[in-house]
Amino acid sequence: MASMQLTDEELFSELKRFGFTPGPVTENTRPVYLKKLKKLREEQQQRGSRLGKTRSSGSRPASHDVTHLSSSRRPDRKSSVLGFSSDESDVEIPLKRKGLSHSVRVDRSPSSSQQPKTRPVTAASVAFKNEYDAGSTLNSNNSSPGPDGQRNVSLGWRVRARSSSEAEGREDEESEGEDDYMGETEKNSRSLNGCGGSNLNTSKLAGDYSDSDEEVLGGFGARHRKLDLLEPRRSHPKASFSSRGVGRGSQTGGAAREVNPPGSLNMVRRWRGEDEEDEIKRRDTGPSGGLRGHYFPKKPIYVSLNDNHRGEAGKNNHVDSEDGASRSSTFSIGLRPRFSNYSSLSQTYRGNHSNHSAPNHSYSQALLKHKLSAPEEELLQQFKREEVASSGNLFSAHYLSWFLLMAACLFFLLLGLMYLRMRGSGSSEVDGVSKYHTGCAEKDLILKLLLSLHDHLAHIAGIDVWATWKLICAVPLTCTVCLFVQTQNWEFENLTHTSLEWIIRTGRDGADEPVTDVSEISRLESTHPKMPFACRFRRAFFTVISRVFLIAAGCLWGVVCYMKYRWRRQEEETRQMYDMVERIIDVLRSHNEACQENQDLQPYLPIPHVRDSLVQPQDRSKMKKIWDQAMRFLSANESRIRTETQRIGGADFLVWRWIQPSLSCDKSSLMPSKVWQGKAFPLDRRNSPPNSLTPCLKIRNMFDPVMEVGENWDLAIHEAILEKCSDNDGIVHIAVDKNSREGCVYVKCLSAEHSGKAFKALHGSWFDGKLVTVKYLRLDRYHQRFPQAQGCSTPLKASSLHLNTMSMMNTTPCLQHHSSANSSGFS
Amino acid sequence: MSSTSQKHRDFVAEPMGEKSVMALAGIGEVLGKRLEDKGFDKAYVVLGQFLVLKKDEELFRDWLKDTCGANSKQQGDCCGCLKEWCDAFL
Repeated sequence: MASMQLTDEELFSELKRFGFTPGPVTENTRPVYLKKLKKLREEQQQRGSRLGKTRSSGSRPASHDVTHLSSSRRPDRKSSVLGFSSDESDVEIPLKRKGLSHSVRVDRSPSSSQQPKTRPVTAASVAFKNEYDAGSTLNSNNSSPGPDGQRNVSLGWRVRARSSSEAEGREDEESEGEDDYMGETEKNSRSLNGCGGSNLNTSKLAGDYSDSDEEVLGGFGARHRKLDLLEPRRSHPKASFSSRGVGRGSQTGGAAREVNPPGSLNMVRRWRGEDEEDEIKRRDTGPSGGLRGHYFPKKPIYVSLNDNHRGEAGKNNHVDSEDGASRSSTFSIGLRPRFSNYSSLSQTYRGNHSNHSAPNHSYSQALLKHKLSAPEEELLQQFKREEVASSGNLFSAHYLSWFLLMAACLFFLLLGLMYLRMRGSGSSEVDGVSKYHTGCAEKDLILKLLLSLHDHLAHIAGIDVWATWKLICAVPLTCTVCLFVQTQNWEFENLTHTSLEWIIRTGRDGADEPVTDVSEISRLESTHPKMPFACRFRRAFFTVISRVFLIAAGCLWGVVCYMKYRWRRQEEETRQMYDMVERIIDVLRSHNEACQENQDLQPYLPIPHVRDSLVQPQDRSKMKKIWDQAMRFLSANESRIRTETQRIGGADFLVWRWIQPSLSCDKSSLMPSKVWQGKAFPLDRRNSPPNSLTPCLKIRNMFDPVMEVGENWDLAIHEAILEKCSDNDGIVHIAVDKNSREGCVYVKCLSAEHSGKAFKALHGSWFDGKLVTVKYLRLDRYHQRFPQAQGCSTPLKASSLHLNTMSMMNTTPCLQHHSSANSSGFS
Repeated sequence: MSSTSQKHRDFVAEPMGEKSVMALAGIGEVLGKRLEDKGFDKAYVVLGQFLVLKKDEELFRDWLKDTCGANSKQQGDCCGCLKEWCDAFL
């Protein structure tokens, strides 16, 4: 990528433009920021292409296509050109000045500047219009630039290339310029059998062509050191012709094939070949096939040209492919919705072709048409495939809706049929009756009679039902029957008896007692009342509702049972999980304590080991779920256990580490607490009086009254002194001055000798981290202070035999506190 | 509770001083060698790079990947380690 040409400042400003504030761009951070810039540009390009896609909607398909192309191209080109535009223009301008003819450039610029930068649509439409309009002019102009034809072809191509190259610097114009020129030259080639026609601005451009021909060539030659670069570039314009429209490409291809102007146009031939290759290649590469292939080259024109400019450093090739790849994706995205447009386009083109070719009948023209139709057909085929594919989707959706509709209709039909069945049940009876009657002419009449009778009875019954919901139909018998029959049809008069007999015979009257004789018939009851519709409906409705309720109730009950079962299961699992968690904590804590004592052990336990020690092998698969839950619970809720990864024996294990520092009693043991910790200096003549003077001692710095906590710490002091002087059983009184800042303790001994011994034992010892000093006190002062001491004469003994304060650090310190707490006051 | 390696904890526990680049979490012998070849021989140089990239995790990861070919886990470890160190000491 030509981003290598970016200086640090440019990279910095580019990144800033994307709203990303980068740090300093140093040699180390440069590649990172380059990557970031590329990523940001790709994102923008994607966004742009998406926008371009939505923008397309077809009133002017051609223009929209162009627009889309240009727009999709634009952000991409922007991405590749954006930061480079400055570079490019900087680089380009000298090159252009070198190679391009200013005149041509100037001429181009007004023509291209006609089209406002911000309105590619109009420009494109203008271009198209120009193309269409130019057809006739082209034809007319055909003859004039006859000798120039060939030249014009090549010129046109070159012009196109140049125009595209010229248009590099201008983002908006480029598309239009290229389209414009491409269109023109396409037309030219088309109309002139590939003999180059004039351009749209023939007057302007013809002269320019002639002027610029050498310059263009020269410019190109000068500009592009590598010929292979030249070739693809040239072929791109070639391909760009075809990309204009569906058939155009092939058309121009055909034209060029036909034309193949000899002489100076080796390039043309090369372009041809390259173009075809490119076309084929591109056709094969893209899913959108031909169209994409047509369109693909359009973009690369700019790219390659830009790259050529940029790529003085020689990075064109991979840049090209890179850009091409990125663009092809955008193209393919954007091209799909264009298919419809293109098909219409192609058709219009075909029309135009026919129009244009009319004046020029030539073999090549027919060929052109052939060539035109081939890619067009391909395009149409693709379009149809797409349509079919899309319609396939539609069909499935269609089917779904139809299916639902049919289902609803069927349901309603069924309902109706059910209703009808209730009505029509009477006729079945009649059928049954008719079986018994052997072929009689009266049969029909009797049937009719019965039917009508049945109907009547049903009607009456229905009314009754409707009224009272009871199937009672008291129809007094024969007379009413006869009357009814008479009213119905005089034919029935004679047949009432036979019909009644029939009814009896069929035995379908449902009477309780067998009826054998007509006369015994007293009541006719219809078992199938023909109820009014509303009544019927209501009954059906209620039955349906009741059934639905039953089913719903059944389901609900089932659901409730299931939920209860699940709930019970979950409770059980939770209980088990907590149980497991507690066991794990116990294990870890005990392990921690063991580690405290035995420093060889590792302070953590691998989790699988814990699991295997807690859960029996036969339960492991069952308890797996519970174990996992316990693990999660511990990692989430237990603060005293930390999960880590440790390497044990070469393998990484997840381990648990107990990180609670020892409990309160343990904690105090870490600090020196209420224990004698050895002597600071040996007692000799210098620091102690030679002989004990008095039996009373004042011991300083045994405690700090501010720091002391608890109720009975003074008793602990008592204990400590007593234990220190356990061999000396002459201590009769100990008094702790709780308020003294110096931590004073007063001791009275039996005699001076005992106090001397106590002095030796206590003075200069470390207690609880403090250096203890002892002083002799006058007895009378002591007694003044502590009158109760005067009467004490029994030696005090340490309450516990354990000598807790004498022990070294960390050995059962808890017990010490307990014992001191337990010791009762004995002063 | 996310698990951090011992290396991570060791690094974050104290100022890095003149620790080698292999003391960083996620950077072992191979990666450390590669970094040293590129000139990042001390942990503080890598810290410098991290700070120059404005402590941006993604950029630093990219840089690590480009410079010494660290995989995703190693990148994450190193980045997290440096980030935590910065939170603690910077």
